[in-house]
Amino acid sequence: MSLLQDVKNWVRARSIHVSYVDVGSCNGCDIEVLACLAPRYDIEQYGIYVHNNPREADILLVVGAMTPPWVERLPALWAKIPPPRAAIAIGNCPISGCVYNRRETYILGPVSKYIPIAAEVPGCPPRPTEILSAVLSVAPTVFRDYEVNRP
Amino acid sequence: MKKLVDVSIPLGPVHPCWKEPARIKCETRGEKVLSAEVELGYMKKGIERIMKGRPWQEVLFLAERVCGICSVIHNMVFIEGMEAISGITVPDRAAYLRVVVNELDRIQSHLLANFSFCYTIEHETLAMYLLNTRERAMDSLERITGARVNKAYMIPGGVRFDLRDADRAALCADLDYIEEAVNRYARMFEGGPLIATRAKGVGILTQEQARIARAVGPTARASGIAEDLRLSHPTYRRLEFAPIVRTEGDNFARIMVRFQEIFQSIGLVRQCLHDLPAGPIRGGGTCGAGETVSRGEAPRGELSYFIRSDEYGRITDIAIRTPSIMNIDACTHHMLPGVTSLADVTSVFVSADPCIACNER
Amino acid sequence: MRSVIWYLREFLRAPWVHAFLFARTAPLVTPSHFRDYPSLTDVECTHCFSCRMICPAPGAIEVLQEGGGWHPVIHRGHCLRCGLCVEACPEGVLASGRILRWQEEDRTSFRATFRIQVDHAKCMRCGNCCVSCPVNKEQDPQMASGGHSSNLEVIMRIAGGKHTVIHEERCVGCRTCEGACPNSAIRVARILEGVQGVTEG
Repeated sequence: MSLLQDVKNWVRARSIHVSYVDVGSCNGCDIEVLACLAPRYDIEQYGIYVHNNPREADILLVVGAMTPPWVERLPALWAKIPPPRAAIAIGNCPISGCVYNRRETYILGPVSKYIPIAAEVPGCPPRPTEILSAVLSVAPTVFRDYEVNRP
Repeated sequence: MKKLVDVSIPLGPVHPCWKEPARIKCETRGEKVLSAEVELGYMKKGIERIMKGRPWQEVLFLAERVCGICSVIHNMVFIEGMEAISGITVPDRAAYLRVVVNELDRIQSHLLANFSFCYTIEHETLAMYLLNTRERAMDSLERITGARVNKAYMIPGGVRFDLRDADRAALCADLDYIEEAVNRYARMFEGGPLIATRAKGVGILTQEQARIARAVGPTARASGIAEDLRLSHPTYRRLEFAPIVRTEGDNFARIMVRFQEIFQSIGLVRQCLHDLPAGPIRGGGTCGAGETVSRGEAPRGELSYFIRSDEYGRITDIAIRTPSIMNIDACTHHMLPGVTSLADVTSVFVSADPCIACNER
Repeated sequence: MRSVIWYLREFLRAPWVHAFLFARTAPLVTPSHFRDYPSLTDVECTHCFSCRMICPAPGAIEVLQEGGGWHPVIHRGHCLRCGLCVEACPEGVLASGRILRWQEEDRTSFRATFRIQVDHAKCMRCGNCCVSCPVNKEQDPQMASGGHSSNLEVIMRIAGGKHTVIHEERCVGCRTCEGACPNSAIRVARILEGVQGVTEG
C-alpha cells in the first residue's frame, strides 16, 4: 500500500466523527450511548467525537427498531453522509426488533434492509462497556484501505 | 422602513439537542417566537396493540420498554394494576424494596434530565459532572437488580431478587456520594450568572396556564401546583415526605425542583433502608379477570394504565397515558409563545423534560 | 460575586488535583454481577422446555439436540437478558450473573400452569391440534388423523364430534396446537406465578 494510504488508515482509525439517529427506540440504548460520553467511560479520549451532524459524520449509529416514518428518511439521511462512511447498529432493536417483533407490530424488518450495516452490538440495552468495545474493535478496520476497496 | 418577515422555523427530527425525533415548528417574528406546534409520530411502534392477548410475563417487558429512562415506574404501575385486579397482596419487605428501586430510578432520571438541560445550554462541565454522578446510581441499580436500564424487577406478588447486606452497604455509600456531589452541583447551578440568563425568566408557565394545559410532574410543581401521586400510594404513605413546589415556573424553577427531588428521593431510600423489615420477597398469586386504572408518579409526572384482563390473566385491553403528553402540550402552547430568542426554544423544550418515546408507544 | 479565593479553594482540592493528573477511565469489563447472556453450566439439560415457555423475547432461545445431548441455545440479537430462563430451569442448566446463587439462597422459583381454551364456535373439529400435540404423540403414537383416539391418557381428542380436553394438567405450554389450528380456535394460556419457599413436588 502506498504511504498516503497508510497515513489515511492511521488517521481514520483515530479520529472518528459520529452522528446518531434514533429511528424508533425506547430510549434505553440512546441513554447508554450517552453514558459512553460520560467521564467514566469517556468515548472522546479515543478520538471519537459525538456531534449530531450527518454531513460531517464518518459513522452513523442507528438505534431503535425501524418504524414506517423512517423508511424514506433513513436512506435519505444515509445519502447525506459523505463517504467514507459506515453504520453501526446498537441494541437488539435494529437487529431483530427485540420484544416488538410480534405479528401485530408496526415495526418493519431489520435496519440492514434499508442501509448497509457494518457492525452490530446486541443487547437490550448493551452496556456502555460493550458499546465501547465494539466501536473500538471496529474503528481500525472499517475504513481500512477505503479508496482501494471502493474506488 | 424595515419589514419584519414572519418565518416558520422547523427544529427537525434529528437535532443535536434532543435524543429522540420530534419536530417543533415555530412561527417567529425576528427572533421572538409567536407560536409553536409539535409534530410527533416518528417513533410509533404499536406497543399497546402488541400487548393485547398476552400474559403478564410478556406484557411486563413490553411495558418496561415503553420508555427506557423511566422503565421501573412503568413496571411498577403495570404490576400494581395486575395485583389490584387479582387481589394479590405484596409482602412488606417487597413493598419497601420496590420503593427503593423506584426512587433510585427517579434519581437517575432527574440527573439525566438536568444533564440534558445543561448540555442544551452548552454548559458541558456541569452536564458531564451530572452524568458521571448518574453512573453511581446506575451502579447501585446494577448491584441490586442485575441490569442497568431494563430491570424487570417487580412481578405480581413481590420482587425478583432480595437485597444483600454487601449491596446495601454499597448503596448507602453511593447515596452519600450522590448527595454530596449533587449538593455542590445545585449550588453551582443556583449561583452561576450565565446559567441564570438562560434559565431565569425563560419559558414561564404560570399556575393558571399549567392548570389549563393539565401539566403534571416537576413541570407543574415548578409552577405552583402541589400535586404528587406518591402521596396516595400505600407504601409511600408510611414514609415522611412532602412535595417540592416552586412558584416561578421558568426553566430555573423546573431544574431546581428536580435537584431538590433528588435529595427527597435520597431521603426516601434512606428511610426505606432503615424501616426494611425481614421476611419473604414473593407472596405468590396468579392473575385473574377484571379491570382497573392504575396510577403512579413517574419522574416526569402522572402515569396511568387502564388494564382489562381475562380469566387467565391475559391482557385484553390496555391504555397507557404517559406524563409527557401533557407536558409537551403545556410546553409548546404555553411556554414557547413569547420566548424572546430562538436559541431558547431548545432549552425550554428540554427543561420540560419530554420523553418522546413515552409519548408514542 | 464569588472571590478568587473561593474559586481556588473549590477547584484545587487534593482529590481533584490527583484525579486531574492521574485520571483513568474505567476498564472496559463487565462486572460479574451483571445479568449477562445466560451461559451453560455443566448440568445436563432434560429438555423440559421450561426456559422456552417463559422467554418473553421472540426467537431468543431454542432447545436443540446435538450429539446425543440437549442444550439450550441463546441468540444474542434477540435475547433481552431478563434472566427468566435462568430462574425457570428446574435443573440449573443456565447461569447469568448472580441469579442462580440468589435463587438457591432465597428459594425463589416460578410456577407455570397451562390452561387450554377452545372457542367452540370457531372449532371445525379437524383434529389438527390433537395430532400435532407432542405430548399426545408420546401417549398415543397411533392417534388417527382427525384427532380420534380411544386412548384416555392423551391431553385432548375429538370425541363424538366435539373437541374434549381430558388431561389438561399434562400440557407443557408449547402452543404447537395454536399454530396448527386453521381457525385460531384454540388458545393456551401460560399462567405464571413467582413463588418463594415452595418446594416443587
